[in-house]
Amino acid sequence: MTRPFPIAACLALATLSFAVLAQTEATTPPATEPAPAAAAEATPAMPTGSAERGRQLTYTCQGCHGVTGYKNAYPNYHVPRIGGQSAQYLTNALTEYRKGARKHPTMQAQAQSFSEQDIADIAAYLSEMKQ
Amino acid sequence: MTIFSASRLAIALAAALVLAGCSGGDTPAEHSSADRAEGHTKSSAGLPAGHIDAGEKLAHVKGKATGQACVDCHGADGNAPIDPTYPKLGGQYYDYLAHSLEMYRDGDREHALMSQQAKDLTDQQIADLAAYFGSRPTHLRDLHGLP
Repeated sequence: MTRPFPIAACLALATLSFAVLAQTEATTPPATEPAPAAAAEATPAMPTGSAERGRQLTYTCQGCHGVTGYKNAYPNYHVPRIGGQSAQYLTNALTEYRKGARKHPTMQAQAQSFSEQDIADIAAYLSEMKQ
Repeated sequence: MTIFSASRLAIALAAALVLAGCSGGDTPAEHSSADRAEGHTKSSAGLPAGHIDAGEKLAHVKGKATGQACVDCHGADGNAPIDPTYPKLGGQYYDYLAHSLEMYRDGDREHALMSQQAKDLTDQQIADLAAYFGSRPTHLRDLHGLP
């Protein structure tokens, strides 16, 4: 009886086992500290935003929101002007994109890469922007 | 046979963990081909031409479901929202405004008031409202030319 792909399976297992070990070590928090994500979820209030940190985080946003007249494709509409909206509106928008309640593939992906602190910082920066 | 199944399970588990570890990294700023292919099903491109005058009238008419007109909540010219969670509309791109109203009307975006406010709007009314608020002075800007 021949077993299919024995060498390939062993190699894959060996490689993946290392990856799993690395993953486990990387994600296991120190036993003494509480999980920060859980603590953040439990607090309903958003963190206070830092406009200066927000300025650095909005570099990527400029790829679309920084090009005057830039249009979204299919459907065609201008990417909105977001500078000068309120911090609360911007926070809600990013949070809804992050949860998938507001739908836009690029914005959902962007928002999912942000922490609550990031969102607060971005909202602070954009809302303080003058004409 | 059981050994082989166990290895397959282990591989699948390991692969899932590795994939999970890889996600959440860089995302492109431009719109991807996947974005274009599957992102949106509604198009504001199909709307009729909007009329600013008609939009101005409609913006002051109380909606049946909410008892509120657009300007009751978003303020004069859409520039003075009565609640900080409401957006400024004045001078926003008309086609983005129209897209937002269509999303609310069609249930693709939800808000306790806006979903009700938009649900009976016709394409022409959406185009008119978008033309009106898009024509107002703005407090907004894009991120072009920042220091």
